Amino acid sequence: MKPSTVRGRPRVNAVTRRLAGHLVRGLVMIWVVTTISFVIIRNIPGNPVLGQYETLIERGMSPDQAERATAALYGFLPTGSLWEQYTGYMKALLHLDLGQSLSTPGTEVVTLIGSAAKWTILPVLGGTLLSFVLGVTLGVYAGVKRSGKLGDLLSISGSLLHGVPQYVIGLLVLAIFTTLWPIFPAGGPVDVEFVPGFNAGYLASLIQHATLPVLTYALASYGGWVLAMKSSVATVLGDDFILAAELRGLSRGVLFRYIARNAILPLFTILALSLGMLFGGAIFIERIFNYPGLGLLLVNSIGARDYALMGGTFLVTTMAIIVVNIAADLLYAVIDPRVRTGGVA
Amino acid sequence: MVLAIGTLEHFMKRLAATAALAAVATATAACGTSETAASAGPGGVYTTIDGSKQIDATAPINPFNPQGSTFAGYDAMALAWPKNDLMDPNLFYPGLARSWTATPDQGEVVVHLQPNARWSDGRPVTSADIRTSIGLAYTQGGSAYTVNAGAAGAAADIKVVDAKTVKIVQGKNRSNAFLRNVLSTVVVPDHVFGPLLPAGFWATLTAARGTGPAAEKAKTEITGLSQKVITFSPPEDVSAGPFVLERVNPGAALLRKNAYFYDAARIVPGKVKVLNYTGNEQIWNYLVSGKLDSAPFTAVPAAVMKKIKQTPGNAIRKGYSPVAASMAFNQARKPYDNVHVRRALAYLIDRAQVTKIASPEAGTPSVTTTGIHGSSAQAWLGAGLGALDQYKVDPAKADQELRAAGMVKKGGQWAMPDGSPWKVQIHVPASFSDWVAAAKSVTSQLNDHGIDSSVVTSADYILYLDELAGGKFDIGFWLMALGPSPYNIFQRVYGPANGWSLLAGRLNHAAPGKDGNWMGGPETVGGVNPGELTNRLNLATPEEQKRIVGTLAKLTNEQLPVIQIYDYVNTQFVNTTRYTGWPAAGSEALRLPAGVWMQLGMIKKSGV
Repeated sequence: MKPSTVRGRPRVNAVTRRLAGHLVRGLVMIWVVTTISFVIIRNIPGNPVLGQYETLIERGMSPDQAERATAALYGFLPTGSLWEQYTGYMKALLHLDLGQSLSTPGTEVVTLIGSAAKWTILPVLGGTLLSFVLGVTLGVYAGVKRSGKLGDLLSISGSLLHGVPQYVIGLLVLAIFTTLWPIFPAGGPVDVEFVPGFNAGYLASLIQHATLPVLTYALASYGGWVLAMKSSVATVLGDDFILAAELRGLSRGVLFRYIARNAILPLFTILALSLGMLFGGAIFIERIFNYPGLGLLLVNSIGARDYALMGGTFLVTTMAIIVVNIAADLLYAVIDPRVRTGGVA
Repeated sequence: MVLAIGTLEHFMKRLAATAALAAVATATAACGTSETAASAGPGGVYTTIDGSKQIDATAPINPFNPQGSTFAGYDAMALAWPKNDLMDPNLFYPGLARSWTATPDQGEVVVHLQPNARWSDGRPVTSADIRTSIGLAYTQGGSAYTVNAGAAGAAADIKVVDAKTVKIVQGKNRSNAFLRNVLSTVVVPDHVFGPLLPAGFWATLTAARGTGPAAEKAKTEITGLSQKVITFSPPEDVSAGPFVLERVNPGAALLRKNAYFYDAARIVPGKVKVLNYTGNEQIWNYLVSGKLDSAPFTAVPAAVMKKIKQTPGNAIRKGYSPVAASMAFNQARKPYDNVHVRRALAYLIDRAQVTKIASPEAGTPSVTTTGIHGSSAQAWLGAGLGALDQYKVDPAKADQELRAAGMVKKGGQWAMPDGSPWKVQIHVPASFSDWVAAAKSVTSQLNDHGIDSSVVTSADYILYLDELAGGKFDIGFWLMALGPSPYNIFQRVYGPANGWSLLAGRLNHAAPGKDGNWMGGPETVGGVNPGELTNRLNLATPEEQKRIVGTLAKLTNEQLPVIQIYDYVNTQFVNTTRYTGWPAAGSEALRLPAGVWMQLGMIKKSGV
């Protein structure tokens, strides 16, 4: 055991140093992105209170009613110079205080983000994983059988779906399953008539409402996975170790595992990035299906010039991407021995 | 590659299992819905949309919060509900106030509460609730409840006459808007919201009505309560309306019938489901699928309207909508400072054609420009309406006007007096599809007449308003004619957008380009100050109002600070499959929430 302990210690130190480096770089990046987004957000033109007043007029309220409804909103606008606002914002951030929303006056931004995040995770995570599993599996097949008819068909379907924008797929899915063949609800996260909790009706309604957003997300990202996996498989197939394995007469099952394991490595980075983007929400999908996730929250906050909410949503997305990137980098060292040993495998 | 195919099959099986799960979920949810609907009793679940806001499940159950999880007419009650009258803004249906009286000058308003009114926890609704509600309204500012004592129409005293009677006295600067502002008071329970008002609040309010440092301090104390009131989050809904909030999620709110409502026998549905929406297209989907029992005014393209009409039970109710779409000029910019140019453009725009393209279902071409919605203008002006210039399409007159303005025609194109090119740019927010279509139609007509015109869109409405207020546009689309109050009608043309604003009860006029004055019109025209006259409308007697409206309509027709393009038609949707008894077309109740229709005893079960 002694030699392995001796060998293990420097490895632990290397991992710790690597993690510490990532953390420092991550914190610096978060600060830079937060600062840049703060300046951009505060300089977006538009008076949120005037906007809300005129929106209420446009919705049919009388000027008196609209004035009553918006008069108190001025108290929620940031005051002071840009520098004062910035220092105040950064101080509050250190206490994990993202401020109060203007569009939902007085509600903490953290509360709004927390509420939206849970609705984003189900469709985006579900859609990402579904499309990843499906795309990777079919991608391997398309790569191995790239000269066959089914391989061609998979490649073409992948290219086609990859080229169609998310919102087009969403609108098509919406039209097919809510109008032409109305078997799924058109919007919302769950039917309000069901008592929230672990009961069949509520869970079924939850799945029913999430089906179309998940399907849209899966269809929209499936093509990318198929094409990426096919390309990766094609590269691996040309490697010497595959030829050696074939010459050694290894079974097809073992050979498939060799191909799939080596070809999937580059896709993990993309998957990690996709999971990071999860917190940015799927803006178009959430908008089309009226699904109250982070994407919709961000769109609404921009539309209402809700500075605190915009900043909070950007910050959460930024942090998620950075954290997931760090995690992916560390995970890469675990799944790929060449990274762990500095290329000496 | 046998194993690869085997793995593929494995995943196909998983996919099939997922699809089956979704199908089971659909079936289970469908069964579950009918079970839950049954719990609503024989009255069933009434499904609708609240057009005034989008649902935010994190918002408090508090009507003072603009985004609050309370719904006017259902669980949020006012003293009374405004009728959609063409001229009189002081006509109301009873709400928590069974009746009211006002002195002729509206100096005193006495409100008598519904004798049987109770909160959903069983406690009676009393004058103390009204007093607390008014106290809380002071913290928000505006209308009758402002701490600026000099402001017109500000309440000066609130007296509890008895448990069910309250007297509200107006200050010395009398306004004819006082009664309607009092009747619009939203009432909240004193035993829930009362603790928000600190001890000594009423003494502080009295002090705030004075002058000097003590008064300023008192004002600050009262307005300082604003955020505390807005953010207050009661643990549960306590409603005096026909319904009480059961639960809310980001997709919808569910309200159940309030057994303590003073007229519960009139309320048919056992529950109300208010669906959320993020855009009109979701309302269209709900309407096409027949889910909504009623929907508020929603702009609908012709193709979608056709589909909506095909859905069994769907019907349309049309009525008066006090709003019009117009093209507003920035008169600080050349050549729009010249009335002849504005008139020339009016003679070239075929309003019927524009309306047909932009808003065929929910618009009617404006008869002419008066500043007033066509239906209302007829009532205000009578025969005088016919005497005004109708600005019918007349290219010859347009040419005359352009020449009178000194404009020149070169190579078939109109140019500025100095011969430089004249480029007309009409600005609209990209999200208003009817305005975009209208602007395109207008520019097409102007281009046909040799005026180089184009449409410029702003990314969103807030940006549009910001740029408009910043005086960046020559011409922009503008909502106007916001009746029935004559002040509200003309305030859109001769209010802050054109330089006039009220500050501490005094009318000021800002120079063009300053303090939001983007219309840049002259302060006086032929000795008439339109802003002053508009302001007078809130203080005048009905006879004087009529005279002022006549003067302002004539001035607007001659000077054309705006060209009125089309008057909106309130186009609402109902579905007769589950319920019936809807307000008739043109009814004064049509624009009110369905909860008020229920209070008025209109809504019945279909086939009963």
